[in-house]
Amino acid sequence: MNLFTEQVLNGVGNGVVYGSVALALVLIFRTTSVLNFAQGEMALFSTYISWKLTTEGLPVVGAIALSAAIAFVGGAVIERLLIRPVEEARSPLNVVIVTLGLFLGLNSLAQLVFGTDPQLMPSPFPSGEVAGIDKDTIGLIVVLLAECALLWLLLQKTRIGLKLRAVASNPESSRLHGINAGTVLMLGWALSAAIGAIAGSLVASERTGFDASLMQQILVYAFAAAALGGFDSLIGAVVSGLIIGVADALTIEYVEALDGIEVVLPLGLILVVLLVRPNGLFGKRTVERV
Amino acid sequence: MSAPVDKSDTTVEAPAAGDGAGTAPAGTPPLWPPVPARVRAVRVVIGVVLAAAALYAPYYFEPATNRLLSQALYIAIAAMGLNLLTGFNGQVSIGHGAFFGVGAFTTAILMVDHGWTFELTIPVAAALSALVGLAVGFPALRVRGLYLALITLGLAVLFPRLTMKYVDGTGGVALLRPARSQFDSLLTFLDDDQWAYGLCLVALVVLGVLARNLVHSRMGRALVAVRDQEIAATTVGVNLAATKVTTFAISAAYAGVAGSLSVMVDRLADGTNPILYFQRSIEFLVAVVIGGSATILGPVVGALLLVALRRNTEDLIEGKEVLAPALYGAALIAIVFVLPDGVVGGFRRLLARWAAAPSNQEDH
Amino acid sequence: MRIRRMARYLSVLLAFTLVAAGGACSQRDDDDDDTSAGGGDSAASSDIPTEDCVADPTEPVEGDTITLASSYPQSGLTAAFSEIARGWMAYFEMMNDQGGVEFGGETFQIDWVERDDEYNAARTSANIEELVGQDGEGAFAVFSVVGTANNLAIRDFLGELCVPDIFAATGSPAWGNPDYPWLIGSTLPPYTLESQRFAELLEEEQPDAEVAMLLQNDDFGAAYREGLEQAIEGTDITIGDIQEYPTGASEVASQITSLANSGATAFFNGGTLLACPDALSQAAANNWEPITWVSGTCISKTLMGIAGEAGAGVYSASNIKDPLDPQWDDDEAMQEYRDTLAQYQPEADPDNGIVAYGWTQAAILVEAMANAEEPTRLALMESLRNLEVSDVGLLLPGVTVRTGPDDPYMGEQLQLVRYNFQGADARNYFETVGDIADYEGQTADLTPEDLISG
Repeated sequence: MNLFTEQVLNGVGNGVVYGSVALALVLIFRTTSVLNFAQGEMALFSTYISWKLTTEGLPVVGAIALSAAIAFVGGAVIERLLIRPVEEARSPLNVVIVTLGLFLGLNSLAQLVFGTDPQLMPSPFPSGEVAGIDKDTIGLIVVLLAECALLWLLLQKTRIGLKLRAVASNPESSRLHGINAGTVLMLGWALSAAIGAIAGSLVASERTGFDASLMQQILVYAFAAAALGGFDSLIGAVVSGLIIGVADALTIEYVEALDGIEVVLPLGLILVVLLVRPNGLFGKRTVERV
Repeated sequence: MSAPVDKSDTTVEAPAAGDGAGTAPAGTPPLWPPVPARVRAVRVVIGVVLAAAALYAPYYFEPATNRLLSQALYIAIAAMGLNLLTGFNGQVSIGHGAFFGVGAFTTAILMVDHGWTFELTIPVAAALSALVGLAVGFPALRVRGLYLALITLGLAVLFPRLTMKYVDGTGGVALLRPARSQFDSLLTFLDDDQWAYGLCLVALVVLGVLARNLVHSRMGRALVAVRDQEIAATTVGVNLAATKVTTFAISAAYAGVAGSLSVMVDRLADGTNPILYFQRSIEFLVAVVIGGSATILGPVVGALLLVALRRNTEDLIEGKEVLAPALYGAALIAIVFVLPDGVVGGFRRLLARWAAAPSNQEDH
Repeated sequence: MRIRRMARYLSVLLAFTLVAAGGACSQRDDDDDDTSAGGGDSAASSDIPTEDCVADPTEPVEGDTITLASSYPQSGLTAAFSEIARGWMAYFEMMNDQGGVEFGGETFQIDWVERDDEYNAARTSANIEELVGQDGEGAFAVFSVVGTANNLAIRDFLGELCVPDIFAATGSPAWGNPDYPWLIGSTLPPYTLESQRFAELLEEEQPDAEVAMLLQNDDFGAAYREGLEQAIEGTDITIGDIQEYPTGASEVASQITSLANSGATAFFNGGTLLACPDALSQAAANNWEPITWVSGTCISKTLMGIAGEAGAGVYSASNIKDPLDPQWDDDEAMQEYRDTLAQYQPEADPDNGIVAYGWTQAAILVEAMANAEEPTRLALMESLRNLEVSDVGLLLPGVTVRTGPDDPYMGEQLQLVRYNFQGADARNYFETVGDIADYEGQTADLTPEDLISG
């Protein structure tokens, strides 16, 4: 395998990581219209739970499933107790502050509960390579695509999905149509927390080790992927994650001038794309009403 | 239980915003409603007390406390700038840490490499930050809300990576420290810490008055109009692009001045910490919201509260210091819960209710 | 409703007042004209200039307690560094219980105040200025502040005051800058010596090696690179591809792929924290098997445990006993360390190398205090700068920590160590290899000038 292919594969490996976190971001945005800064740290906390469960002897898949279930409940609780009272005051900035408070709080709680040392998260996939590609990476891609498909089915083909979308796009009028917006928003938070838990656990297992900085390193790239994809397209987030991952790997290999500041690339990429297509690569056009 | 945020003092009816001639047509409610005499009296009293406290503080406190206060003052300046952008104009920026950094490194480089006097570097820092702000402001025209937050977040992450790569201080460390003697008090009757505090206070007052005048000007009405009804604002003649970009630049200049002052207070410009400028951005945003967004004094109150919180949470958790950010985060959430429109907003509501109440029937 | 809102508001206001008052119940003491500046009589024989000292360093300690001030990350992403403090705290607690420490002929208890700085240099400087005081009337000395930028941030202040900044906890060669006699580095080997030792290892094992380097994109990486460039002058060793990664990143797959494909036969892994084991794993994944050096900061049970088999056989250098090395199981010093830790800091992991490091720094300080001629800051600093100790704390046998008037570096004797990996569940450790390399007094010569005082 030549160097170029290898670097592209490295990029794909990181790209699925960005894509999977971006997916959770897009999901919560589509279902609740909130930019959740705490998304990464919620996922980190769940990742530590998965890891802790594996050290207690649970099989890896079971641990991740259980942790996703815990995250589902946790996401709903966070929405009900912390987000909803603030959202009712109609202040988007205040919701941002609450998610920032969660961002700080969850990270330090995770360190208190699970310790400050780096840990090793075992992988649910068999080790080894297929055609030069790490099986972890392949596993992550498969899971990611399955998640995308299931979420798409949920959002587009079920009644609850319809409600989720209706509430996100216009909570006022959906309430008038008799939709219980509260329950639906809770579901949005719960779902994206669960997706985040799976993403975090798989990302940690794909990496050599993880510590409390796991998600903060990824978040900028995941945000970039979500933005590039237009923030409301599930598959767009995944594809954009891959684009950013590959671009990053190739920059490291071929652009010496950007050594250490490779992050300008995804930023420049979002900037350029947004200038040309204000709603991202995969976003839908929105009509502004006066 | 949770009241809708009362923005009556800042919300503008769209048609009032851009009337071309600059005079409000008859019949439209004014942007700043007349203040009842009682309220005005209370405001004057509070103002006098605050001013007295601010002037007396540096003589009362130890140098270490003065330094904390000076930190609060420069955070307040940056938050005030961010408030113009976010509170009044509705553009959320998480990149003000980067503008702050541009200001700090401008001052530090001018002092360390070119031997400038500190005080002279402040306008240069402001100008350079404004320029960078302009450069960011133009693409920001095309992106709104979420996207803007993201792009500016990227700036805050990028900035320390640039300093690590290009700034070369002692032993190659991306840390610039002007000689301590370069910050000596220029007034013989003030100690160095009092001088630093005084300089920050003067900067805050000057920039505060400027911000207040700006907000009350035609430009200020345009800002708020753009925030509340962007498309409507354009239809009545607000130059959207100019308004947004100018606000961005002014706002960045405030952060630049704050960064410049931080070099005096902290005696260094730090480019070694990968998350420092992101944390700064968050600090400014938090100061705006907990103090009261779209108010002039809010960011000041928010900054003081924030510094006090950070300094005092640590002592509460002896042995479990790792929890400090959690306490801090919990405090933020609590404040947003109890005072959805910030300390100043809450105070205003209180005052307004008191003013509306029959004069000798205080209910408790 | 109205009353409730009012009550809500008042309660927050009250809380604010309390918080503010908690931090502000100090009355300014502006009576600082009587601080006697300038050196005392005993300064005549000193190598440390004291004429301009803000606080007289020849003033003996009052009372029977010495207070040390420290600042290090206790929260945030680098909170793991706080384990260092558990090591030194345990040592001081033990000494206190045994009656105290000798200092200049008298006996003192050791007390300490520490603050969290989240690895933020500005906070370090605020913490230390508060704990030491503007006139030096606070803590007696500053001890074990973590981080290069963090120590640089307090160096001028403490230097003007003439308050010792003892054992700055990084391996920056800048700690040898003669302009700052009040700061001394710790036993961590200067980073440039690691490069030197690797170059010498290559001279023996692979004299025509091409070295690939993974470096953090800051002064830490620059020290390794410039050190190696100087070390290979006049040899057949060459430096090939150099890849940098941003500070704080823990994923370096692309960088390693690039290095692995460069054709290099030797690998200097300058990664720290998780970037270090990740680099090793990625090298293994690329089937790249160069002779490998890992940064001394990577000698850690957890980090190497994460690398696992990919770390087998990598070299590094140390001067402290690895608690996991079975050859020290019956060692008296190691047993005292484990027992004391269990007694005073039961939450600390004795196998964690940085705890052992903290413990050893405390032991060396106690030794230096005993050697001081009088209980003053100046005498302590002079003692630290004319040190010759061995068999203290967990120093390796044969390692002597020596400083002199022209030699401010403590960690100049390096034991080559190699990671002995015997299986994921086995007790893996760094085994000592060969004799101790002695660079006594040579750090300044082996380090490019700009890294020391630039």
